[in-house]
Amino acid sequence: MQGVLEYQGGGTVLHRAHPLVKLALAAVVCVGGFVTRSLLVNLALLALSICGGFALGLGGKVKSSLKGAGSLCLFLFVVQLPFVRAGRTLVPLPFGLGITDEGLRFCARFAARLLGATLPLVLMLGVTRLSDLTNTLVAQLGIPYRYAFVVTTAIRFIPVLFVEMRDVIEAQTARGVELDGSFTRKIKLIPPLCVPLLVSCAQRMENNALAAELRGFYLRKRGSGYRRYPLTGSDALLLAVCGLVAAAAIIT
Amino acid sequence: MDSLILLEGVSFRYEGAGSRALDDVRLSIAPGEFVGVIGPAGAGKTTLAHTLSGVVPHVRRGDFYGSARVAGLDTVTASVVELSKTVGCVFQDVESQFVTTMVEDEVLFALENFDVPRDEIPARVDRALADLNITDLRSRGISTLSGGQKQKVALAAALALAPSALVLDEATGELDPASSVQVFGLLSQLRRERGTTIIVIEQKIMLLCAYADRLLVMDQGRVVIDGPVRRTLEQPDRLLSLGVNCPRVTTLAARLREKELYHGPPPINLDEAETMVREAMA
Ligand SMILES: Nc1ncnc2c1ncn2[C@@H]1O[C@H](COP(=O)(O)OP(=O)(O)OP(=O)(O)O)[C@@H](O)[C@H]1O
Ligand SMILES: [Mg+2]
Repeated sequence: MQGVLEYQGGGTVLHRAHPLVKLALAAVVCVGGFVTRSLLVNLALLALSICGGFALGLGGKVKSSLKGAGSLCLFLFVVQLPFVRAGRTLVPLPFGLGITDEGLRFCARFAARLLGATLPLVLMLGVTRLSDLTNTLVAQLGIPYRYAFVVTTAIRFIPVLFVEMRDVIEAQTARGVELDGSFTRKIKLIPPLCVPLLVSCAQRMENNALAAELRGFYLRKRGSGYRRYPLTGSDALLLAVCGLVAAAAIIT
Repeated sequence: MDSLILLEGVSFRYEGAGSRALDDVRLSIAPGEFVGVIGPAGAGKTTLAHTLSGVVPHVRRGDFYGSARVAGLDTVTASVVELSKTVGCVFQDVESQFVTTMVEDEVLFALENFDVPRDEIPARVDRALADLNITDLRSRGISTLSGGQKQKVALAAALALAPSALVLDEATGELDPASSVQVFGLLSQLRRERGTTIIVIEQKIMLLCAYADRLLVMDQGRVVIDGPVRRTLEQPDRLLSLGVNCPRVTTLAARLREKELYHGPPPINLDEAETMVREAMA
């Protein structure tokens, strides 16, 4: 999971594209998956994300998100499937449950939507520096810097949280806390794991806010960002792709 | 001489704490001085650094007595933002100091905020990265760096701003010895070229001695020794009893002097140590 949400350098068209265009593209693919009623379009969008990811040199991210989000989807798929009663029964199961054609379609769409919503966001963050995203959100959309900063800080802290969790687990294991065992035992172990995690994370966030304040956070204005983000021809092309995807999702 | 930093009878007790973290601190630091601060854990070193940046008492709250002035600003009435234009800080816990994800962005952040003219920015970023030998890390993600590399990034971000006073609170703890020496050399150069006032809280006393003019030793919230580096080093027993790791060569100098075998000042580098040994053996 670590590193999945981080920027990965590169020189592709998308790496160089305008941050807001990339955001729009990711949003259109995400939302498009929920708008469309055709499973085919869902699968096409998913394929687009996967191929796009490999083309961007982000194959590693595609694989680990497919593994992470994919196993969640698979789990939900298997759990939901027997309970959908509508449609023609293909495989009857005991207790009045069964696998229906409608159930298959419903669950497949659900899984495709979930995966289809995760991948574009992961890819967008893989080809966009967070600071470029905040700069454009602030300078061009007029979003107050502190809000943009909160969002990017949250994204920044996710990997930190994972590292911290690993450290806490290691520390607790070293102190003899056994992490294997029955379900109820595991539940009982949650507070000793989570409390130090929350405390250290809160502390770190507070120190982080302080560091930002000492480096002029409150002086920042809308035009403070140094980098400029001109729109280029390829941005126009990407916007056209956005339009196409949106149209396809709405029509189908 | 006019002082850049003037603390008069400053005492501070953190909210809910039993004892004072600073206890009647009197201190005057002239512009361009290079001051080392040393002392055992809990002596109040970080609290002193926070007092200079206004974090105490504005962010870390508690009972504040006395008066602290930095560049003419009273730290109790001036805001942290105002003070941050004069005082740059690098802190102990390097992990929580980053506000962006990329090395270059981290150096840019404060330059952008403090309205450094656009055409000066690229040169300042280049210079700060080059000064710390991390030009090759420029477009790396911060989370992929080692502890020492992270500290260099934090230092570069502070140096790029060129504040009138720079406070480093154990900011070189994870650097290898060669890099530590390099950072101290850089600080001396800043002081020489721009007249930057340097205040360094450090555990490595020999490094402090080689570069600082003046050493403050703190204990239990008080400044217990304040003077030129050599004069402080002349009291190795006192330093040891305060829990400050005194260099062996200094202790040796004190013993040789007791036996009247050596009459010079305590050595602070290898050449001086050699001279001392030659004199003692003569
Ligand atoms: N936020 C806080 N709340 C309450 N007490 C605090 C707080 N921060 C520090 N203290 C206390 O104030 C005293 C001085 O702490 P300070 O951090 O200034 O010491 P230090 O000299 O920097 O130590 P170290 O070498 O361990 O960094 C200590 O007794 C400490 O327990
Ligand atoms: Mg400290």
